[in-house]
Amino acid sequence: MAVAVRKKGGFWGWFSSKTVAPWVLLAPTLLFAVVFFLAPLVYAFYISFTKWDTMTSPVWTGLANYKYVLTTDPVFWQTFWNTLYFAFGSILIGVPLSVVLAYMFTRSRGQVAWRSIYWLPMVTNVVAVAYIWKFVLDDRYGLLNRTLALLGLGAPGWLTSPALAMTTVVLIFVWMQLGQNMLLFSAGLADIDESYYEAARLDGANEPQLFFWITLPLLMPTTLFVLITNFIAGLSYFALMLALTDGTGGPMRSTTVTGLYMYQMAFNDLRMGRASAIAYILFAVILVISLIQLRALRRGGVEAH
Amino acid sequence: MSIIRKTLTLAATLVTSTSLVTASFAQDVKTITIATHYNDEQMAPLTECFRAYETAHPDTKIVFQQAAYGDFLQTILTSRIGGTSPDIYNIYSIWAPQLASAGALAVPPADILDWVKTAYGAGSVGAATIGGQLWGIPTELSVYELIYNKKMLAEAGFTAPPKTWDELHDMAAKISKKNDQGVIERAGYVYGPSVSNAVHVFYAQMYAAGVSPYTEDGNHTNFTSPEAIKILERQAALFSEGITSNTNVVDDISGGTAAMAIMANWNKADFQTAFTTEFDNTIGAAPIPNDGGPAGTMLYSFLWAVDSNSKVQPEAWTLLKWLDTPQNGKPVSCTGDMLNKLGAFSGNLSDLAAMDVKDGFSLPFVEAISSGAAKTQPNIWQASENERTLRGYIEQVWAGTMTATDAMTAADAEITAVLAEQP
Repeated sequence: MAVAVRKKGGFWGWFSSKTVAPWVLLAPTLLFAVVFFLAPLVYAFYISFTKWDTMTSPVWTGLANYKYVLTTDPVFWQTFWNTLYFAFGSILIGVPLSVVLAYMFTRSRGQVAWRSIYWLPMVTNVVAVAYIWKFVLDDRYGLLNRTLALLGLGAPGWLTSPALAMTTVVLIFVWMQLGQNMLLFSAGLADIDESYYEAARLDGANEPQLFFWITLPLLMPTTLFVLITNFIAGLSYFALMLALTDGTGGPMRSTTVTGLYMYQMAFNDLRMGRASAIAYILFAVILVISLIQLRALRRGGVEAH
Repeated sequence: MSIIRKTLTLAATLVTSTSLVTASFAQDVKTITIATHYNDEQMAPLTECFRAYETAHPDTKIVFQQAAYGDFLQTILTSRIGGTSPDIYNIYSIWAPQLASAGALAVPPADILDWVKTAYGAGSVGAATIGGQLWGIPTELSVYELIYNKKMLAEAGFTAPPKTWDELHDMAAKISKKNDQGVIERAGYVYGPSVSNAVHVFYAQMYAAGVSPYTEDGNHTNFTSPEAIKILERQAALFSEGITSNTNVVDDISGGTAAMAIMANWNKADFQTAFTTEFDNTIGAAPIPNDGGPAGTMLYSFLWAVDSNSKVQPEAWTLLKWLDTPQNGKPVSCTGDMLNKLGAFSGNLSDLAAMDVKDGFSLPFVEAISSGAAKTQPNIWQASENERTLRGYIEQVWAGTMTATDAMTAADAEITAVLAEQP
């Protein structure tokens, strides 16, 4: 008893108290976050107001980088629209597709096998994915165009036509993300109580009605999560474009998204200040759109249920 | 007990003395780190020389670091920020202005400067010079010329490569063939997806037309000159007339599905791999077609440079001179030997004379260097950025979304603004 009292009142008591212990346990994570997230974030914000080539000291330029990017740079806005096209395109195609597939697979045999198959692209290295698709989509010898030839159809320039290249990238990205979204929707579907369906069936609801009036509304929290995470990922993503186009973002910059442009600006052109300004502009856009999504979907979906 | 004590004492003495010897040895041995974009296999001849140098100079240890070409500049910069920069770099000459301006490069000693000016060709010395200051020892030299597939030309009824652009256009048109889906399956002429596939070709054609892409002071472009506009309009015609397309690229030359392209000599190794014993009978090189004027083209160079933060600068320059001077009665230097095995050229005149460059493929390139027809790629400010900008506008002309005049006017304005930033 005396030992317990001494322990409680001593260093170990203080160390294991509710005030200190959580911070001690969180310390490694917090330290990691400060060194690798917060500090670079703050430093990049400072750098966005300077001209810096990494070899010499940063020179303060005020808002010049933001002004140049938003008003003068002829490439930034092209990459910005490319980014929105990519983000919205991948959501518009990918999210409904993954909901439908998840719904189908939860009602089919061999769920685990189906999930595993659709999950595979997600765990495949993006460079490998890019190379495989480059072979499949080759204009002359690709599997897809050769198949179209057998059907007597033309050969689209999947990755060589400026009008088509970004749509192709969107479709490949949807294919890559499908497994992850399906898994999330499957988890959401598993949470829906079967009694809702039973009650609806007793009232004479058919399968499409069950899907549209029960499944989709009750999936709204998952949908909100998937939409926001997919949108954030889509706005900042450029690895696939980098690998598919050998870093060029071509043809005619049609696959140059803002993330890729920022990467080229920072590491090829050594314009760290301007690249940091673009990063913060992109951050602001993601923040605003995410807040709008959050508000709209909560009102219309999550809070309603 | 005493045996144990004696053993322990002996062990402690041995450990202490070994540590002292190691420490004194470590203090005497100087490590020189060399970074290049060549991989281990390509570096093999140089690595062998490194070991020979270490044997002859026991106080020196040479460490090789490889960085991919696309990441090389970033690797240098990151290592400098981290204070772990290599002592010696093999850099592309157009990176030198920024590196020199930032004080990242060490000025070579006077004896090295004198030696380079006498032992190397004017083109390669020019490539390593910025604002009158020579920054290193030139290494790999690359020249652009017209590459053509002899067999494909012969099949189309041509016995010699084109001398003028009109000839090239007509020959390419006759060779190009589309498949059942309307895709060009066999291209008479090709470009490629990289920046240099468009920009270096454009520069080379400008030199062939007798115009430098940039003014001598490096502050303005000549992209709006009539010669430049004409070059681009003719390139665009190849696309609009279905003679070439984005589908058809320079790699198709090795694949045997493209007949002509303007390419650098270092592609020789790839062609030899692709065509093996048929290389000489299949691939040829010729001066860049123009409108009948004197031959002209562009060359670019890499150079050995020493980091200004290096603590072993004198030793680094001594090593570099040793690597670039023939040793033990051999006809070529270590660097020259490596470049020779890569199918590349050396800027070192004695190396170039002793290299395996007397075959039909290499001769037009060597002739362009020795005659002075090959002009040095200008070491302009922010060269990589400007070339990417220019590629963007060239592509617009190819696609027919901009006229050559509008595209070059826009490119000139954008690039001139960047050039004006030069300190």
